[in-house]
Amino acid sequence: MTNAHAPLLETRRLELAYGAFKAVDGVDLCIRPGTIHTVIGPNGAGKTSLFHCLTGERRPTHGSILLDGRDITRQPAHGRVGLGMARSFQITSLFQELSVHENLRLAAQGVDGWKALNFWQRLDTRKRHIDTADEVLERLNLTERAGIPAGELSHGQQRILEVGMAICARPKLLLLDEPTSGMGIDDIPTMTRLIGELGRDHSILLIEHNMSIVMSISDTITVMNRGRVLVEGTPDSVRNDQRVREAYLGEAA
Amino acid sequence: MDTKTGAVASKRNGATPLARPGRIRWAPGTTLAMLVVVVLLPVVLPSATLATEILIFAMAALACNLLLGYTGLLSFGQAIFFGAGAYCSALGMLHWQLGLFSALLLALGVGAVLALLVGLLCIRRKGIYFVMLTLALTQMAYFLAYTLSDWTGGDNGLLGVPRPPIALGDTTLVSLASPLAFYGLVAVLFAVIYIMARRITSSPFGSTLLAIRENEARAAALGYDIRLFKIMVFVLSGAITALAGALYAMLLNFAPLSNIELLMSEQILIMTIIGGTGSLFGSLLGAGSIVLLGDILSAIWPRWMLLLGVALIAVVIFMRGGLWGGLTSLLQRARRASSHDKEA
Ligand SMILES: Nc1ncnc2c1ncn2[C@@H]1O[C@H](COP(=O)(O)OP(=O)(O)OP(=O)(O)O)[C@@H](O)[C@H]1O
Ligand SMILES: [Mg+2]
Repeated sequence: MTNAHAPLLETRRLELAYGAFKAVDGVDLCIRPGTIHTVIGPNGAGKTSLFHCLTGERRPTHGSILLDGRDITRQPAHGRVGLGMARSFQITSLFQELSVHENLRLAAQGVDGWKALNFWQRLDTRKRHIDTADEVLERLNLTERAGIPAGELSHGQQRILEVGMAICARPKLLLLDEPTSGMGIDDIPTMTRLIGELGRDHSILLIEHNMSIVMSISDTITVMNRGRVLVEGTPDSVRNDQRVREAYLGEAA
Repeated sequence: MDTKTGAVASKRNGATPLARPGRIRWAPGTTLAMLVVVVLLPVVLPSATLATEILIFAMAALACNLLLGYTGLLSFGQAIFFGAGAYCSALGMLHWQLGLFSALLLALGVGAVLALLVGLLCIRRKGIYFVMLTLALTQMAYFLAYTLSDWTGGDNGLLGVPRPPIALGDTTLVSLASPLAFYGLVAVLFAVIYIMARRITSSPFGSTLLAIRENEARAAALGYDIRLFKIMVFVLSGAITALAGALYAMLLNFAPLSNIELLMSEQILIMTIIGGTGSLFGSLLGAGSIVLLGDILSAIWPRWMLLLGVALIAVVIFMRGGLWGGLTSLLQRARRASSHDKEA
């Protein structure tokens, strides 16, 4: 049971060290269900490193991660999907030569875990995955392009598909690492709208550089600096916080 | 199109995108073509033995294709399974008087277990390190076979391998002594494996293999346990390759040391690549053309392997999809031209 107050995802004194250097240094994070929680911070603050710990790409050197109160610190990346976490990649990572629809269908099938080890059924008998893919296609406005290889989509559409694949798993928590990275100005509003919409039925952990997006859609913002949490609060309180300004100015200087 | 996931790069073959991608239709096209080839081979070719050799290597190439074409794993370890299949079935028949099917089952089992072990070891590494591990293991297997000459006959090979009849208990049902009868057995086994492989490649498992080939990191992020899938496909490939090895020993009545040589791995890979990776029918084409080429050229020129190198270079440079890719794009061009004529 998730009640509104129990955190969906929690990290306790999370630490990731590269050798002697601690890229994440004792981070306590608490993501409440149903919210869009954004992590920002100057370059090198440790956002991506934190993200890697959450996705399972890297094993934290210290501390723990809890999903719905369950310790998942040692779960491998693929094992976290079945528990309700899905992610997108900062650098677009699709099945370039497979069709857009197949990209989404594979994403829907992945949640089944070892049940995808089915040698015998034909794919069209697994209607559930196809339906999910169709639905998500609709939502992404990509139905027209369903049949072309993902690699032939425009850059902006590839970014959209990148996020779309993460929602095929119907996760409790969506982890998005800079979904707008590398997107043209024209495409950014589409992405902002999509994330806002997704926020209605998913909890989202977002890493983002674009401040106008961050301020407009976040419920909670965590500002990181040098591997630690500097400030956490609502967009308004963060915007006006002196320490945040200094951290960003420090970067500029 | 051969792969019917709708998933395939239509770009590669220049095909128009499928209207309803991801929907897999049962296209009996290549299965039918395969059956026709299997029936015609002994009729067209001068000897049934040659036809048998083609199907045996097509089986090995098909198994290699599951790794290379569908999963993106370049394995130089196929000779281990081929050789082990040949030795184990032969030893089983010689020392334990195993019958035909027990010997073939033994090969399947040995191939699967060896592939499990090789897979568990090699899959820990990716890319070039994976390739090097399979290469090293093949070398080890070769020297092991060479050293255990009491069992394998070493350099001389294992002689006097029988070709037991199809029997029920002690009553012989069909003798396989004639080349054509043995061809019949190999043809049936090949067709069964081909149809099974076709089914497997268009299953959820098969679609996941393609995903792994395309982008391993993404596949893992979607929830697939990559190592599990790779090991499963290894086991499948190893078992089929060992079966081919066992049949080869029965065909020759002899299990030469060359079965387990690195060169055998290379041959199987070359057949797979020339035929077309990612196409099961391509494996039949690849094995057919290499075995025939070898048969014709070796009679005229002992250094014919040189030409094989030339053929490989030509296919890799000019025909990215191998013979199968070349054939499909040719067919498409013809179809487009004829529909053009009708419009005009
Ligand atoms: N694999 C690695 N080995 C060693 N140091 C690393 C590694 N990855 C990141 N770092 C260092 O850890 C620190 C945090 O990096 P990280 O990528 O997490 O920052 P970030 O907040 O995502 O920055 P950006 O905004 O530039 O994406 C940086 O100083 C970086 O140089
Ligand atoms: Mg980053």
